[in-house]
Amino acid sequence: MDSAPHQTAAGEIPVLRLAGISKYFPGVIANEAVDLDVRPGEILALLGENGAGKSTLMNVVTGIYRPDAGEIIVDGYGVSFATPHDAIRSGIGMVHQHFKLVPAFTVAENIHLGWDETPRRITRDILETRTKALSEQFGIPVRPSATVADLSAGEQQKVEILRVLSRKARLLILDEPTAVLTPDEARDLFRALRAFREKGNAVIIISHKLDEVMDISDRVSVLRGGRNAGTFETRDCSPPMLAATMVGREIVRRDLRARRPDAKPVSENPVISLVNAGVRDSRGVMSLRDVTLALHGGEILGVAGVAGSGQKELTGLLTGLCTPAQGEVLIDGQKAPAGAAAFAEAGIGHIPQDRLHSALAPSLGIADNMALREYRQAPVGGDGMYRSDEAADLAKEIVEVADVKIPDLATPIRNLSGGNQQRLVARREIRIAQKALVAAYPGRGLDIGAVATMHRYFSELRDAGAGVVVISEDLEELLNLSDRIAVLCAGRLMAVLPAQSADIDTIGMLMGGRTAPDDATDHAADHQAGEG
Amino acid sequence: MAHWQRFPTAPAHLVFLWRMAAVLTTAVITAIALAISGRNPFELAELVGRSAIGSRFGLEDLALFMTPLILTGSAVTITRRIGLWNIGAEGQFYLGAAGAAAVGLYVPGPSLLVVPLMAIAAMLCGMAWILIPTLARAYAAVSEIITTLLLNFVAALLVYWLVTGPWRDRVTGALVSTQHIHAAIPEMWGVVHYGFPAALLVACGVSVLLGRTSWGYEVRISGANPGAAEYAGMPMRRRIISVMLLSGALAALAGMFEVAGTVHRLQGGMANNFGYLGIVVAVLARGSCLAVIPAALLMAFILDAGIVMQTQQLAATTVLAITGLVLMLIAAGDELAHYRPVRTTPPAGTIERNVSA
Repeated sequence: MDSAPHQTAAGEIPVLRLAGISKYFPGVIANEAVDLDVRPGEILALLGENGAGKSTLMNVVTGIYRPDAGEIIVDGYGVSFATPHDAIRSGIGMVHQHFKLVPAFTVAENIHLGWDETPRRITRDILETRTKALSEQFGIPVRPSATVADLSAGEQQKVEILRVLSRKARLLILDEPTAVLTPDEARDLFRALRAFREKGNAVIIISHKLDEVMDISDRVSVLRGGRNAGTFETRDCSPPMLAATMVGREIVRRDLRARRPDAKPVSENPVISLVNAGVRDSRGVMSLRDVTLALHGGEILGVAGVAGSGQKELTGLLTGLCTPAQGEVLIDGQKAPAGAAAFAEAGIGHIPQDRLHSALAPSLGIADNMALREYRQAPVGGDGMYRSDEAADLAKEIVEVADVKIPDLATPIRNLSGGNQQRLVARREIRIAQKALVAAYPGRGLDIGAVATMHRYFSELRDAGAGVVVISEDLEELLNLSDRIAVLCAGRLMAVLPAQSADIDTIGMLMGGRTAPDDATDHAADHQAGEG
Repeated sequence: MAHWQRFPTAPAHLVFLWRMAAVLTTAVITAIALAISGRNPFELAELVGRSAIGSRFGLEDLALFMTPLILTGSAVTITRRIGLWNIGAEGQFYLGAAGAAAVGLYVPGPSLLVVPLMAIAAMLCGMAWILIPTLARAYAAVSEIITTLLLNFVAALLVYWLVTGPWRDRVTGALVSTQHIHAAIPEMWGVVHYGFPAALLVACGVSVLLGRTSWGYEVRISGANPGAAEYAGMPMRRRIISVMLLSGALAALAGMFEVAGTVHRLQGGMANNFGYLGIVVAVLARGSCLAVIPAALLMAFILDAGIVMQTQQLAATTVLAITGLVLMLIAAGDELAHYRPVRTTPPAGTIERNVSA
C-alpha cells in the first residue's frame, strides 16, 4: 500500500507525483490510494498482472479518466486534467499498447494530426519536411511519406513515440511496448529510451516481463489489486522477489493431494495430449506455440503464468474451442474431432474463465442453462425435440448435487450469486467430464468457502479417474491442489514441474520468462537460450 | 416503512396490469386530444366500439387485419429470439405477394391445386428476398437491420413496376393492379378466409418450434448469449441462416394470404405497412410467439378504429399517433412492472413475491 516517501534528493522536484489516487468503477476498485513519484532522469517500471490497475492509473495520469480521489502533481504544482489534451500540454505523453494511429494516413499526416503546431496551410511537402526535421531532432528514424498501414508494429511504434515527443513530452509512458516488437526492435527502443533519459526526461514503462524490467529500469513500482504494493530500486530487486510481490501474499503450502483409498490410479496413457500445438490469434500472430503436454486421467495439472501468457489459447485447444494452427490435439491417442460440441461429447468438461459471458445465458432460466451440455441426448433431446420437463428434472438434479438454494427453476440465472452460478456450472461440467475437466480461474471472484468447494469437486473428480486442468493466477491454489504444474510465459510452455517439490522461486522465474536454473523439470525448457 | 424497489424480474401478472393501464391511458390521452380539437370523444368511442367490435362487419375486418399482422409479427419475433431484427417484413410481404400473383396469374387449375402452389412460390420468394441480408449477416457480420430495411423500398418499387408494366390489368383496366386472380383461399365466415386460422396455427407452430425443439433451444441460447452458444459448440451461423430464411418465408406468407384471401389482385402499395406493424406487434409480444396473437389483435383494433375515425373526417395519421402512444406507454409499463414495494429490512437480491395492493 505504501510507497514510503522516497529519499528525493534536495532540490529535485519529481516530474510527476501521484498522491492517494483512487479510481472506482461500479463494483470494482481499479485503483486505491496509489502514491507514486517519477523523477527527472529516470526510467520507472510499473509492474503488475493484468487487472492490477496499471492501465487505469495511466489513464488517470494522461487525462482519459478523472480520479475519484487523490492529487496529480506535475513539477510541484497540483493539476487537474479535464481532457487528454491538458495532460499533453503538461508534458505527459503516452504510447498505448494498441496504437492510436490512422492506418490510411501517412506517417507525416499522423504526426500532425490534432496538434496545435500544425501549420494552417498543409501540403504533403510541408508535412513531410517538418516530419523529417522532427525525426532528426529526436533521433527517431521514420519514413514521412509511408502509409501507416504498411508499416511493421515496430515502425508504427516509432511513429507513436515521435508524435508524443514532438509535443514536447518530458514524461513518456509506454504500455507494454515490447509486446509487439522483435528482439532487435526492442533493443533499438531501449537505446532510444536511454537517450531520452540522459536529457533529464522521465519514462514510465508498463510491463510484466521481469527480465526487461531488470534491464531497463532505475526503479520499479509494483501494483497489485489496484494498490501500490511497493516501490524499489531496481538494483535491490531480483526477478523472483518481483514475481512474488506481483503475485501477492505469503504463500501457504497445504496438501490437497491426499487421495481417497478407493481412488483410481493415474492412467497410464494420457487422456488429452498436445503435440507441438500452437494457436494463431485474429491478427495472425502465434499466441501459443510449440506446446507438448500430456494430461493423464486421475491427476490434477495446474497451469501457472502471468495473465495473458497463452492460458486462453491453451484452454481453447484442450476444449475444442480453438483449432490448432500448428501440431495436433489427441484425445485417448486419437486425433481429436473438430469443435467444442465434439469435445464435450467425448467427455471433456470446461469451466470457462468468464462464466456469465460464455458458460451461461444470463437472461434464461436455470433449467435452460443446465441443459446446455445434454440437450442433444436423451432424455432432454436426441430426436430433435427439447423436452423442458426433462430439462427441469436434469436441472433439479444438478441443483441438488451442487447444494444451491434457488427460488424456482425459471429464475433467470443472472439473479443467482456468482458462487452459486459457479457451482452450477461446475456440476454441469463434471457430469459430462468422464475424461477430463478444464477449469480456467475457477476461484476468481469467489469467497473462500466457494473456492474450497471447487477444490473438493476437483479432487473428487481426480479420484474418480478423470484428468483435471486448473488454470489459475493463484500460485498457492496451484501448489496445494495440483500434482504437476505447467508454467506458461509469452505463449510458450516453459516447463512442467512436479508440484510437491516445486519451488516458488523457480515458478516465479519461469513465469517471468527465465529458464529454470536446475533440471527439476520433466519438460526441458529449451526454447529460451540464455544463462541458467 | 415500505418503499419501491426495482427487481430484476417482472412477474407476468404485474406486466399484464401495467399494460392494461397503459392501454387505458392511451385511450384517455387520445380522448383528451380529440376533445381539445373540438370532437366529442364519447360519441367517437361509442362509434368505434359499435362498428369495430359491436358489429359482424367490424369483427370480420378485425380478423382480416389480424391475419397478416400475426404472420409479420411472428416473422419479426423469431429473429428477435436469435438477437436479430428483421426490419424487412414489408419487402418480403411484397415479394410473397408477387410470387403468389405470378402463380395465380399464369398457372391454370382449380384453387385446391393452385393455392398451395401460390403459398410455396410466395415463401420461396420471401426467402430469396432475405437471402442476401442473411448471408451478409452470417458471413460478414453486416447489420441485418440496414440491409433488410433498404430492400423494402426495392421490393415496393418492384411491385409497382410489375402492376403498371408487365402484369398490369388488361381486362378491366384497373390502375396499379393486376387483373383479378381467380385462385382464392376459401372463405369461412363472411369475408374471413381460412388464412386466419392458418395464421393462428402458424403462430402456435412457431411457438412449438422455438420452445420444444433442439433447434429452438439452440436459437434461444444463441440469442441470449452468443458466447455461450460458441462455448457449447452450437452451429450459430447455420442457425442464423435458418431463422432468417424462416422469417422471410413467414412475412411472404402474409403477402400471399393478402393476395389470395383478401384482395384477389396484386396491387401497388398493398403491403399497407403490415411489415412495419409486424415490428410493433413483436415488440408488444416481448419475444413470445403466442403473445403475438393478442398483440396483433390490439394492433388490428387500432387500425380498425383508425378507419372509423377517418369516416369522421379525422386524419389517417391518427393511427400512427395512437400506435406510437401505445408503444411508448407499454414500454413504460413494462419497466414499472419491475418495481414492487418492499419493506426496508430484507436484503436486495432475495426473490420475493410481494404483490402490490
